[in-house]
Amino acid sequence: MQIVSGGVSDVGRVRTNNEDCFRIVAPLQLFVLSDGMGGEAHGEIASEVAVETVVKHCLGGPDNHAIPLLGEPRPGLSSHTKRLASAVLLANKKIFESAEANPEQRGMGATLTAAWIHGSKLSLAHVGDSRAYLLRGGVLQQLTSDHSLVAEQVRRGILTLAEAEESQMQSVLIRALGAQQEVEVDAEEHVLFTRDILMLCSDGLTRMVTEPEIAGTLQAESDPDRAAEKLIALANEYGGADNVTVIVVRLGSVPKGWFSWLRRGARTKNAGNNGSSGGK
Amino acid sequence: MAKLSLMFESKVVKEVPIGGKPIGIGRSPDNDIPVDNLAVSNHHARVFFEAGRLVVEDLDSLNGTFVNDLRVERATLHDGDAIHIGKHRIIVDATGDAPVPVETGRKKAAAPRINETMVLDTKERRNMLQQAAAMGERTQFASGRMKVPTLVVLRGKTDQTEYALTNKLTVIGKSAMATVRIKGWFKPEMAAQINQRDDGFYIGPGDKVPSVNGAPIHGPLRLKDGDVIEVSGVRLNFIFRE
Repeated sequence: MQIVSGGVSDVGRVRTNNEDCFRIVAPLQLFVLSDGMGGEAHGEIASEVAVETVVKHCLGGPDNHAIPLLGEPRPGLSSHTKRLASAVLLANKKIFESAEANPEQRGMGATLTAAWIHGSKLSLAHVGDSRAYLLRGGVLQQLTSDHSLVAEQVRRGILTLAEAEESQMQSVLIRALGAQQEVEVDAEEHVLFTRDILMLCSDGLTRMVTEPEIAGTLQAESDPDRAAEKLIALANEYGGADNVTVIVVRLGSVPKGWFSWLRRGARTKNAGNNGSSGGK
Repeated sequence: MAKLSLMFESKVVKEVPIGGKPIGIGRSPDNDIPVDNLAVSNHHARVFFEAGRLVVEDLDSLNGTFVNDLRVERATLHDGDAIHIGKHRIIVDATGDAPVPVETGRKKAAAPRINETMVLDTKERRNMLQQAAAMGERTQFASGRMKVPTLVVLRGKTDQTEYALTNKLTVIGKSAMATVRIKGWFKPEMAAQINQRDDGFYIGPGDKVPSVNGAPIHGPLRLKDGDVIEVSGVRLNFIFRE
C-alpha cells in the first residue's frame, strides 16, 4: 500500500506553550501523537518522553526479541500491535518514574495515540483523549475511545452525548500516561483499504471542529500536510482554546492491472513520501 | 470583588464573581454555576448579597445544600466557607483579592487555570462513577453491559452464522480481512462497516449503501436492538445477546 502522510502542531490561540508532540517515522510507517499535561514546562516533557519512548521501542523492530514485551500477554494480536502496546507501557513507566524522582514534575502526564501500518494492517495503541479517526466511504469513524470521565459516563448511559459536550468535566481523564505505575493500554487492529484516510489528533482539534467539518476537509484536501494545516486553521478560527496537533495519513494503491501503465505517469506526483519529521 | 469558586478535587473548575444579581447554582445550563451531576437539582440554590451579607438559599432541592457540612435552608456565608452541592464544593471568597484557601497541602498554582487537564486515580474514578451510577436515572447499563452486541446472519453466504462485535470497527465484505466475510462472486471487498462509538453502534456505507429495516441509510445510523441490516445480498440481525 502506498502511503503519504503529513502532520502539523500548533500552540493555538490561548495557550502560550505547546504541550503536544508528534512524530512521523515514514520508513516504519509509524505515527505517534501525544498531548502533555502538568504545570510549568512539565507537560512538554511528558509528551516528548512519551513520543520518543514509543518511537525508540518500535524502531527496535518487531523481530528484535532482545526488546522485551511488557504487560499482559495479548494473544491474537500481531507482533506489531504487541510491540506498540508494550512501547506505550514503557512510556508510562518512564514518565511515572521521572515524576517520582523529580517532585517538581508531580502530576505531569500525557495522552498517547500511536498508529503503525504494516502491509494492509493498522495497529493502534491508545491511552487518553487524543483520537484516531478513519475516513472511509465518506464516513468518519472514531477508532479510539476517549479515556475521559464524560466519555465513560456516556458509555455507561449516565450522560448523553449532548450532555457530555456541554460538561465542564471534559478535561478530567480517567487514564493517562504517567499518572500511575500501571496503565491499561487500548490496543486494536484494523484492516486498511485503498483510499482510506487515517487521522490522529489531539483534543484541541475535536473540541473546536465538528466531525462533518473534519471529514469535509480531509476529503477536499489531498495533500496531507495541507489538510492538517487547514484543520488547525479551523480550530484556531473557532477559538483555538488548546494546542492542536493533526497527523493525516492517506492510503493509495500501487497501480496494478492490465492498463495501469497508462496511468502511471500521472501518479508519480503523489509517490513521494515525506521524510521523518517531528513537531513541537 | 467577592467570588465563588467551583472546585473539583483540589482544583478550581470555575470562578464566578458575585455582583448585584443572585448567582444561580444547579444542573440546568441557565445557571451561573452549572453543575452537571444527577444529584443536583435543576435550580438547586442561589447566592446573593442581602443587607451587606452574603447569603446562600436552598431552592427546595432534592438532596439539599450544605454549608461546612451542615444542611441549610438559608445561611449567611463567610470568607472561606464551603458550600457542598452534590459531590461538588464551592468555596466562598468574601474578601476579594485574598487567595482562595485550598485545604490540601499541595502547592497552589500561580493562577487557577480552567480547562487544565487532570487525571483521576483509580479510587477517585471508581467513586465518581459509582456515585454517578447510583444517582443515574438511566441505570440500564448495569444489565446492558452484560449483553454482547451480535450480528446474526438471517440470509446470504458468510463465513460464520453469528458475529460478536468486539472491535471498534467491523467490516462487512468479501475482503479476506473483513470481520463479516461475504462469499460469492461480484461481492464488494468492503460493503459496509459498523463503528462502535461511546453511545452505541453506527452502521455506515462502504462500497455499497446498506439498508436498515428496509430503508437505505443516509450517512451513519445508530443501530437499535433488533434492527435488520441488508447489504450485498446478505441480511443481518443486530441484537444484544445475553
